[in-house]
Amino acid sequence: MKPLTNTRTGKRHVQPLAVFLLAVLLVINYTPTKAQATGTPLVSGSFVNLPAKDFLLQLEQQTGYRIYFDTAHLDTLKITLDITKQPLLKVLDQAFANTGIEYAADVDNSIFISRGLKVQTELPAGYFAGNRLAIQDTVDRQPALPAPGVKAKPQLAQGSKLYEIGQSTSAGGGQVTIAGYVRDSKTGEPVIGASVYIENPSVSVLTDQYGYYSISLPKGRHVLNIQSIGMRDTRMQLLAKGDGKLNIDMPAQVMTLKGVTVSAQKARNIKSLQMGAQKIDIAAIKQVPVVFGEADVLRVVLTMPGVKSVGEASTGLNVRGGSADQNLVLYNDATIYNPSHFFGMFSAFNPEVVKDVQLYKSSIPAKYGGRLSSVVEITSREGNKKKLAGSAGIGLLTSRLNLEGPLVKDKSSFVLGGRATYANWLLNLLPDQYKDSKAGFYDINLDIHHEFNKKNTLYLTGYLSSDRFNLNSDTVYKYGNQNISLKWKHIFNNRLYALFTTGYDRYKYDIYSDKNPVNAYSLGFNINQSYFKTHFNYFVNSSHTVEFGISSIYYKLNPGLYQPLGKESLVARDEMESEQGLESAVYIGDRYTINNNLSVEGSVRYSLFGFMGPHTVNYYAPGLPKTEDNMIESKAYESGKFIKTYGGPELRLSARYAFSNTVSVKAGYNTQRQYIHMLSNTAAMAPTDIWKLSDPNIKPQYGDQVSVGLYKNFKSNTIETSIEVYYKRIQDYLDFKSGAVLVMNHHIETDVMNTKGKAYGVELLVKKSTGKLNGWFSYTYSRTLLRMNDPASGEVINRGMWYPTNYDKPHDVTLTGNYKFSHRFSISLNSTYSTGRPITLPIGRFYYAGGQRTLFADRNAFRIPAYFRTDFSMNIEGNHKVHQKTHNSWTIGVYNLTGRKNPYSVYFTSEDGLINGYKLSIFGSAIPYINFNIRF
Amino acid sequence: MINCKQISRLLGTLLLLAACKERYDPPNISPATGYLVVEGFINSGAATSTVITLSRTVKLEETQVVHEAGAAVNIESENGETYPLQPGVSGQYSSQPLTLNPASRYRLRIITSDGKEYLSSYTPVKTGPPIDSITWKREEGGVQIYVNAHDEQNNTRFYQWKFEETWEFYSSFSSSLIYTKDQLGRPVGVAYRYPDHSINDSIYQCWNTIYSSNILLGSTEKLVTDVVYLPMRFIEPASVKLSSLYSIKLKQYALSREAYQFMQKMKKNTEQLGSVFDPQPSELRGNIENINDPSEVVVGFVDVTEEKEKRIFIYNREVPGWGYNAGCRQEEIDNHPDSIAKYGAGLLPATPNKMGLFGAILTFYASDPVCIDCTMRGTNVKPDFWP
Repeated sequence: MKPLTNTRTGKRHVQPLAVFLLAVLLVINYTPTKAQATGTPLVSGSFVNLPAKDFLLQLEQQTGYRIYFDTAHLDTLKITLDITKQPLLKVLDQAFANTGIEYAADVDNSIFISRGLKVQTELPAGYFAGNRLAIQDTVDRQPALPAPGVKAKPQLAQGSKLYEIGQSTSAGGGQVTIAGYVRDSKTGEPVIGASVYIENPSVSVLTDQYGYYSISLPKGRHVLNIQSIGMRDTRMQLLAKGDGKLNIDMPAQVMTLKGVTVSAQKARNIKSLQMGAQKIDIAAIKQVPVVFGEADVLRVVLTMPGVKSVGEASTGLNVRGGSADQNLVLYNDATIYNPSHFFGMFSAFNPEVVKDVQLYKSSIPAKYGGRLSSVVEITSREGNKKKLAGSAGIGLLTSRLNLEGPLVKDKSSFVLGGRATYANWLLNLLPDQYKDSKAGFYDINLDIHHEFNKKNTLYLTGYLSSDRFNLNSDTVYKYGNQNISLKWKHIFNNRLYALFTTGYDRYKYDIYSDKNPVNAYSLGFNINQSYFKTHFNYFVNSSHTVEFGISSIYYKLNPGLYQPLGKESLVARDEMESEQGLESAVYIGDRYTINNNLSVEGSVRYSLFGFMGPHTVNYYAPGLPKTEDNMIESKAYESGKFIKTYGGPELRLSARYAFSNTVSVKAGYNTQRQYIHMLSNTAAMAPTDIWKLSDPNIKPQYGDQVSVGLYKNFKSNTIETSIEVYYKRIQDYLDFKSGAVLVMNHHIETDVMNTKGKAYGVELLVKKSTGKLNGWFSYTYSRTLLRMNDPASGEVINRGMWYPTNYDKPHDVTLTGNYKFSHRFSISLNSTYSTGRPITLPIGRFYYAGGQRTLFADRNAFRIPAYFRTDFSMNIEGNHKVHQKTHNSWTIGVYNLTGRKNPYSVYFTSEDGLINGYKLSIFGSAIPYINFNIRF
Repeated sequence: MINCKQISRLLGTLLLLAACKERYDPPNISPATGYLVVEGFINSGAATSTVITLSRTVKLEETQVVHEAGAAVNIESENGETYPLQPGVSGQYSSQPLTLNPASRYRLRIITSDGKEYLSSYTPVKTGPPIDSITWKREEGGVQIYVNAHDEQNNTRFYQWKFEETWEFYSSFSSSLIYTKDQLGRPVGVAYRYPDHSINDSIYQCWNTIYSSNILLGSTEKLVTDVVYLPMRFIEPASVKLSSLYSIKLKQYALSREAYQFMQKMKKNTEQLGSVFDPQPSELRGNIENINDPSEVVVGFVDVTEEKEKRIFIYNREVPGWGYNAGCRQEEIDNHPDSIAKYGAGLLPATPNKMGLFGAILTFYASDPVCIDCTMRGTNVKPDFWP
């Protein structure tokens, strides 16, 4: 690879302000007329090889017209012309014929010379009713070199400023690579997923999660387009002479009084190679009505096709038939093991700090691994690099405060967010038998980001959450996540950058009860993991992007410490032996754009897991069920010894073929391995769930998935539609033997069994992301089935037939809509329907041990009633004056508008010798809520 | 503007997770013929007999117990001995007291009248420690009864208990009178029951007995020593049980781990489901199989163990301020057919009130039969163990 030149930027910069002012002047002063060829002054002269610049200056002198031009546009154009008393415009016609140079004249005797695009001196009808700021150039924040030579005259608007990149070393063809950051011009935050492209030849790239892009172009002049949702479309005139850097500041879409529709080229879903990927930004998240009015990142993910949850008080996601532990939930780079608060009613992410959430459910990038179903990547904002700002919100149950600002202006920024609940007052209002109930949580986020120089940036993320509750019992539950990660991004050159990340994640819970002095106990559990990852991104050329890296995670689990509480307690201290494991992976992948229509991506990831000592492992007689009776040996291993290793390649393949700009088809094949498993006998994600590493007795889970999708956009890409089909196989999925004991079980392998799973489905999505009416509609048909038919493993479930998992919900329909009446008032509606989840129903009664008992049918053979819920909310914004100290907004809404008593579970209990069935609904009526938000 | 307090109250009730609990009637999916249910244990105690009860599962909406008669039931040992069980009433099959070999393992063979043959798996003989004591404490106005037991060898670990509660109680009002009746059987007056005007003890002092209906299990696996101190039974404040004299007999069984797990599973399935974090119900497979069709559901776990029991008494005087009140009231009624027809219908006469010449009863007290006749709530046969 040839060493790249240092940063070069355009040489003839005009002050951004001047351009801006000019743009405004153009808009304000010029009344629409037609430029006419006749009626212009006559010119004469004989010009031989005269530089175009001088030619135009002569014309100016002769006619008294002002001619605006950019020497860069004229380049090396020479004019040879012999004319006598010709009208000015006709002369220009002749002079610039076939040069690609356009001109335009207006009634004020001004002429605008431009290249490629003709300057519009008229405005569309009704323009003045609209946005006066519509024409605005982007500005380059790189230090402008003084323009040599002629001082340019006032420039043309609409991206007319020319940026020269690189040194003009050689003429002729060849490719150059331009890279840089796209940032929000107001806050300095990176713009993620912005599309950066040129039209001829068509080359398009997206900015990554740091707002970084790298694009390869043929040398020469180009119009570089940058687009991103929520940002003003930006175009830049480029003269690419050599490799170089170009940082782009994009203005955000300023609230306009009348909407300006920006719709061209927003075809990310068509063009991107990703399939089964959904990205939702926080603005969309905040529009979706949620219970208690607290914008909830994970609950919005649940409205996406293929994503389900077992019930309302659960943020455990079931993605494409996967269980809740098969999702890798990443907050920046930190793994969040329990992403929920307050019995699962809130997700653990502060909406004020989150920038967006990205869900991968089939094309999982090779840099991620270790979970079978999906990756949920939650990205925090980088914070305002220009000034101190903040926001706060007050709701009925929670309040939140967020501060952000620069540490070093334009270099570093921080975001600090905190949330706390004050739900105890609410529990105090409950009937007496609940008077001892308590619940509370808080979470704190801190993100710091510092740019040392153009090549080195450091990101620090800290996250802390804590929950504590006891509900109508003397048992207190506490759990929390603690995460810290440090990431260094280093740009070697325009084509290669690297990320080095290290961090530490911890999840723990504690349960204690001290009512019965003899049995008073405390039970603690924790997972700790330290990790180190490197990731390299190499833009080989416009058709190849190579990514590679290595990662390593060291796990240490303390699966349980059960100890007496108080002096009277007879409880024996029991400590589960800690578990250690090292999961490493190396990966490499190439994204190959074969041509404009066809691109493919292939990655291979090799993961390796070692279960490490010190640990005592139970061995069982081969071929016999793993039961205590069949245990033949317990063997102790010393510290650091690899007791058992598992590993294997994982393939991530995908391809896209675009039939046109609005239709494409994608296909993918994915394999995954998972070495850490959650053990939960309940369907939901409960705080008492324990995690277990793969060991000699518990094999890793392995899954593969094939999926095909068709994508079509309508109405200038404002309406996106997609249909995706998938089929997935899972091996060694852990299900539980009937009545399994999971907590403090020193031989957990005797209570679990490896099952085979399969899942398939079709997902439909229609999404309209712009306009007054926006939102999405999704429908999923899917099945998830398990099978346990190996009598040698102890227990055959349902006689070895396929049986549905307890989160198998075949039909799932979601409609999320938002209608903006004005910029200050909008309403949102969220409606969802799904098939009831499977349960194990009672089929008979019998008399045993002095009471009537119930006999249950096959596992998960029946279903609870279907789920249907509609939520409604109104968002009322204060005024939008830019210059005021605070901006505030209200959210008022109703959760479960129809008041339907959706069953969370159905259960049967024996009461006075009778077996009664009950349906338990968590939110069994309409719940109004109100939330007040303030930004400063 | 909605009152904020209203919202909070509303939210409060909604957050109460159990508040939105409704009846749910499952679809009718019961099979036409029930499954075999086997209850009981092979008794290794030398003094008592083995009793096995056979029944059938019934549909969910049915409440009767369908006993299985006409089966041949045998205990078999690994060494080839066979002990037959004799059929009794209500699906019970019982043996003579047996002396089992603690080194051997035993199983049950059942051949039902329809010719199906069932076999339990061989199970070793388990012996357990006696109940050390039964203690009680006043708690929340009532009485909480605890069991204390220990195994010095630390190898019992899994326990099950059953209990039998008996209490003595008295009618609210004693009765020395009965109605005299006309030819149509209508009460027309009162007369003394006995010439000596004494009250009728047979409806004044009674006993009632109930048996445990919940599965009581305990495990000391997590304790350093095999010591049991567990609540067994709670007597509600002011309950009739302690209005005079109360007794509880605890039966303690040492269980094998498998039997314990089976009982635990049964308990979870029927007594513990429903709260947010509880486990899902599960299939209930014990250690009995149809030898020709292992997939057939058979409910039951036959363990080889013995029964240890202990009884205590608690007197009303030991629980000061117990405050039992039956809520009974006496009416004063004229000893006249019209008055009795009007006010005394459905009541029983208790004692005379106003007396006339020559011992004539002018008015008398009467009360609800439940307040006078204790046999409506128990039996007047004094249990043989009663002091």
